[in-house]
Amino acid sequence: MPKVELSAVSKAFVTRDREVQALQPTDLAVEPQEFVALVGPSGCGKSTILNLIAGLLQPTGGTVRYNGAAVQGVNRAVGYMTQKDTLLPWRTAADNIRIALELKCRAGPRAEVEHRVAQMIDLVGLNGFEKHFPTELSGGMRKRVALARTLIYEPETLLMDEPFGALDAQLKLLMLDQLQTLTRQRRMTVLFVTHDLGEAITLADRVVVFSARPGRIRTIRTVELPRPRDVFRIRFTEAFAHLHESLWDELKDEVTRGTDV
Amino acid sequence: MSGTRDLTSPSPRGRGLGGAGFAVPDFQAFLSTPLGRSLARLLLALVLLAVWQYQPSDKLRFWMSGPIQIVARLWTWLLDGSLWGNVGSTLLAMSLGYVIGTSIGIALGLLFGLMPRLHRVLSPYITALYAMPKIALAPLFVIVLGIGIESKVALVAITVFFLVLNSTLDGVRNVDRDLVRALSVMGATHSEVIRKVLIPATLPWIFTGMRIAVRYAFTNTLLAELIASNSGIGFMIEYYSGVFDATGTYAAILVLVIMSVGLTELLTQIEARMSRGSAG
Repeated sequence: MPKVELSAVSKAFVTRDREVQALQPTDLAVEPQEFVALVGPSGCGKSTILNLIAGLLQPTGGTVRYNGAAVQGVNRAVGYMTQKDTLLPWRTAADNIRIALELKCRAGPRAEVEHRVAQMIDLVGLNGFEKHFPTELSGGMRKRVALARTLIYEPETLLMDEPFGALDAQLKLLMLDQLQTLTRQRRMTVLFVTHDLGEAITLADRVVVFSARPGRIRTIRTVELPRPRDVFRIRFTEAFAHLHESLWDELKDEVTRGTDV
Repeated sequence: MSGTRDLTSPSPRGRGLGGAGFAVPDFQAFLSTPLGRSLARLLLALVLLAVWQYQPSDKLRFWMSGPIQIVARLWTWLLDGSLWGNVGSTLLAMSLGYVIGTSIGIALGLLFGLMPRLHRVLSPYITALYAMPKIALAPLFVIVLGIGIESKVALVAITVFFLVLNSTLDGVRNVDRDLVRALSVMGATHSEVIRKVLIPATLPWIFTGMRIAVRYAFTNTLLAELIASNSGIGFMIEYYSGVFDATGTYAAILVLVIMSVGLTELLTQIEARMSRGSAG
């Protein structure tokens, strides 16, 4: 049984009496522990799909199923790292990371909670910034706090919307490496939205290419690179270059169409 | 023109030239020192007080009294205890009304914020009552509650209530919905979302409302006492002017000035501490 299953799911938004089709009827099944990357031009409905799976939006048509059951209301089985980091501005970095473990559904002994927070801070490389407030952190640091906050409670499914967009190239590779290790180790299912094709190929089992608005799936490509992957070197292999080129051929028409160049 | 300005400016050159026959630049330079400023202020006050005290007209004396008489009256009040009773009465009415108005304002503000449909039903009434000058209700309070502390408390409470209610509502309305969604996806219950997002996000708005409300509470206590009451500083002003006792009236006003300055000073201190707190 697929972990996440979209059958004929479509979504239309009504703005100023005009209906905008964000997502055309789409079918997509994500298997347990699969890492799926969604790429495509902006406004192609990638984020809409994550919102539908998280239950923050209801589909206009079709059904979204999670573990075989239709998603109704907020889907608490997923961890969702949105494009905008939704950190609480009155909490320090450490307090933001801890918040999921403060909730009743995950309450644990204090010492263990603190231990896990320290572990996450270490993992995302924020040592020394535990007591800083979000306004005192750079964009990249805020992203890492948001990542740590999502990973700390080890949701079985991770939805990520351009999580590393604001990071510099070196740091991004480090984070990709950590993400790969962690999601494999904890057997997470991941849906990862990105505009960076290299990032998608490096991490994903399958890459889904979307067409420009109205969004629909243009092609799905399986990435046959062995795991674990060396995120620092894989980009220089021939298989990677080959895949990158053929996917870019698919993507570039859509990108030019989507941005009205 | 530029030459004139040069001479009067407190520049070192101007001071140097002062000895050569220009008295004006020297005086100006002295005024710009802290000591000079204080002395000038003191001098001004002494001149005004002297004019007030030694003006020759008996008719004016009846309406204006004199500084020495006023201070003497204040001293009598201090000794016989009537001052503390009335200051205490004003402060008590103000604090009680403030606490009651603030608590109900915060509670209802949060409630309406959480139940937007209820708020939408009631909002025309709230807007109408908010827009109305609450002082118009004072005579009504006096009829219903009498001239004791109750009617003062009621007027202060209702004024403070609307101020705090509106800033709390603004706060709840301005909570970032994405923060609420993020917590829900993490598995937060409704009450956890309220405790961890809505209330902390609304607190700065509530504090702003409470800070503004302090001055309104003070003014409205005074107004209530001036309209009808049997104790308080406002009552003293109203009473002594009613019996054409200028000395008593001015003495009471002097007490009021001291209280206002004290309150303003206190608020400035609190505000400074709060802004330091939010910065660090």
